[in-house]
Amino acid sequence: MKIKLKEMGNSLFFSLIGIAAILILWTLGVKFTSVGLLLPTPLEVLQRMAYTFSNAIGRELTLPMHLAVSLRRVVIGFSLASVCGVVLGIAMGRFRMVEAVCKPLFELVRPIPSVAWIPLAIVWFGIGETAKTFIIFMAGFVNIVVNTYAGAKQVDENMLGVAYMLGANEIQAFFHVVIPSCVPYIFAGMQVGLSTCWMAVLAAEMVSSTEGIGWTITAGQENGDMTQIFVGIIAIAVVGLLLAVLMRWAERVLCRWRVRGK
Amino acid sequence: MSEEVMVSVKNLTKSFGDLLVLDDISFDVKKHEFLCIVGPTGCGKTTFLNSLTKLYDIDRGAITLGGQPIDPKKQNIAYIFQEYSTMEWLTVEENISYGLRIKHVDKQTARQRVDHVMNIVGLSKYANYYPRQLSASMLQRVVIARAFAVEPELLLMDEPYGQLDLQLKYHLEDELINLWQTTGTTVIFITHNIEEAVYLSDRILVLTNKPTKIKQSLTNDLPRPRKVSAPDFIKLRNEVTDLIKWW
Amino acid sequence: MSETRKTVIECKHVSKTFYSMAGDNLVVSDLNFNVYENEFVVLFGPGQCGKSTILNLISGLESPTGGEIVVSGEKVSGPSPKRGMVYQTTNLFMWYTVMQNVEFGPKMQGVPKKIRRERAQKYIDLVGLNGFENQFPVKLSGGMQQRVGIARAYANEPELICMDEPFGHLDAQTRYLMEEEVERISNTARRTVVFVTNNAEEAIYLADRIILLHNCPTSVHKEYTVDLPRPRDYTSPEFLALREQITADMDNTL
Repeated sequence: MKIKLKEMGNSLFFSLIGIAAILILWTLGVKFTSVGLLLPTPLEVLQRMAYTFSNAIGRELTLPMHLAVSLRRVVIGFSLASVCGVVLGIAMGRFRMVEAVCKPLFELVRPIPSVAWIPLAIVWFGIGETAKTFIIFMAGFVNIVVNTYAGAKQVDENMLGVAYMLGANEIQAFFHVVIPSCVPYIFAGMQVGLSTCWMAVLAAEMVSSTEGIGWTITAGQENGDMTQIFVGIIAIAVVGLLLAVLMRWAERVLCRWRVRGK
Repeated sequence: MSEEVMVSVKNLTKSFGDLLVLDDISFDVKKHEFLCIVGPTGCGKTTFLNSLTKLYDIDRGAITLGGQPIDPKKQNIAYIFQEYSTMEWLTVEENISYGLRIKHVDKQTARQRVDHVMNIVGLSKYANYYPRQLSASMLQRVVIARAFAVEPELLLMDEPYGQLDLQLKYHLEDELINLWQTTGTTVIFITHNIEEAVYLSDRILVLTNKPTKIKQSLTNDLPRPRKVSAPDFIKLRNEVTDLIKWW
Repeated sequence: MSETRKTVIECKHVSKTFYSMAGDNLVVSDLNFNVYENEFVVLFGPGQCGKSTILNLISGLESPTGGEIVVSGEKVSGPSPKRGMVYQTTNLFMWYTVMQNVEFGPKMQGVPKKIRRERAQKYIDLVGLNGFENQFPVKLSGGMQQRVGIARAYANEPELICMDEPFGHLDAQTRYLMEEEVERISNTARRTVVFVTNNAEEAIYLADRIILLHNCPTSVHKEYTVDLPRPRDYTSPEFLALREQITADMDNTL
């Protein structure tokens, strides 16, 4: 146990060194070379970030409010993608007919990157919320279907046999065996899906929007405001990381049965 | 059997964090001895084996083989574990001669040795088969033949017959004894099966539960071939069982 | 036992062929045997000789290609909770706790929560897992998982329990323990049991009657009635003599 703690302490120490080294190099580069024309210093970025916590970027929204707008879009698109993706994935994995009909279509849609839907979404839905939801939905949907489908395919037929032998009917076996054994796969899909949704919202906002974290970056670019661009990028990174951590935590709670040891 | 000491374990101690697994174990194995190690389920036998093979660093003590500190990289040690780890892309014969090729044994000698061991375990007809084409028992034979082909100074076996059915186990055990007697290898055989230990060994080392110590060392000089229903056999078997019984 | 004892399983001229592109595979051929009420019958045979297939046929997971199997007067046509099964690999619902696993059968059949909890608890206690009710199976050792499997089969209170080499993956000592446990459990909760194994010791320790099977295609080679007093001693001369006889006979089936 002691050894583990020490090792963890060590790797934390080296991670911090890595981050510190980048920040120092960055600062030195800006101060003493021509890179300074292109970049703000880390300190400037941090100051601006603190400033925009209470002051508006653009007309009226502060940084947290822009983030909230983006997150709201992601939550809507991602939830829809999860529901539809899980249903379609399981249906494809468990029913031959559905698989035969949907799989070729799905395989065609699957390689299309979510940004490719942006022009189409604008033509179909205009530049309102629906278009953005659609783009985010497409980004998450594909990953969730792929994983759920793989999960539904690998359900152990023996376990279904066990359930039947204990007197379960088809519907009971579905809910007590098929669904639980898909859950880890669904989670894997949702984890990837959530991060692609987060990327997609930024892409969608950069093309057509008047608010959201993606828009702050585009706005920064239009005004030649380097610092604002960096504030946006760092906010995106931090929120993306937090989302991933959140998903991992949710998985640990919901898939408790897979954890060995104490 | 000679009196020359082949393997010497002195004060072997190993713990994981606060958990003491091996507690000051000392014993010797003579040259050409067949030593069986038995202990209750969950005793530190895996740790013990991994210490012997240098997979783990030990906290204290020393293990020597033929007077030198044990080192699987330099010395001729063979292992047989429960999993039949054959190389799927090689034929039976290539699997068995693999160790010899690595050690640059000349072709003529290699040929002879491979033929010899394949003959004893009855694999001659299957020389050109691939592992996938063989049953579990045949695979186990390949693994045993491969271990003996390199004529190891020390052969370590970890419950190699655990999952096989009884009948087959008898056949394979007899083959093992046969190989051991014709090659003069020193064998350390770890098992949970007390009857198997009594059937195979010259000496039985009984371990305690964790932290593992040596509870007793029993000499087994029953005449070979042994009969499981002989009164002496049953007596020794019951003696060992009484030392271990936890169930 | 008297001649009027109730027959639970009748296997009549049962055969099973697996058809495939690579060729047809006759696994069971003209299999005939009966199992009587509250009898502990061991199906014993070497290697992969279709013993598990017989259990799958009895349980209804597969159907015979010839002949018929009658259980309690009804022809087997599909899985039924009247016939319980304990498997070689534990096959527990890993996503449910020990209690949820054991009460699964009664729950599926709509037994009210209070009654099925009581019943499940009774069998959890019987297999000695008291205190582990809320653990998930991953945290249990192989032997303990196998106990859950046994409790789950018993909790459904089937008229017949099939066990397919349940201790094949356990080490020799844990197996002795589990054999003693099965002996104790089947003394306390008497059921008709069909137990498959390739271990002669296990067969003799547990069985009222041993049916030695021919290797592929499988059919009955010989039967032995075991009337040694229980609990049996693995090293008694009678035990070892029977073991020697059975292993010798088994050589002839190969």
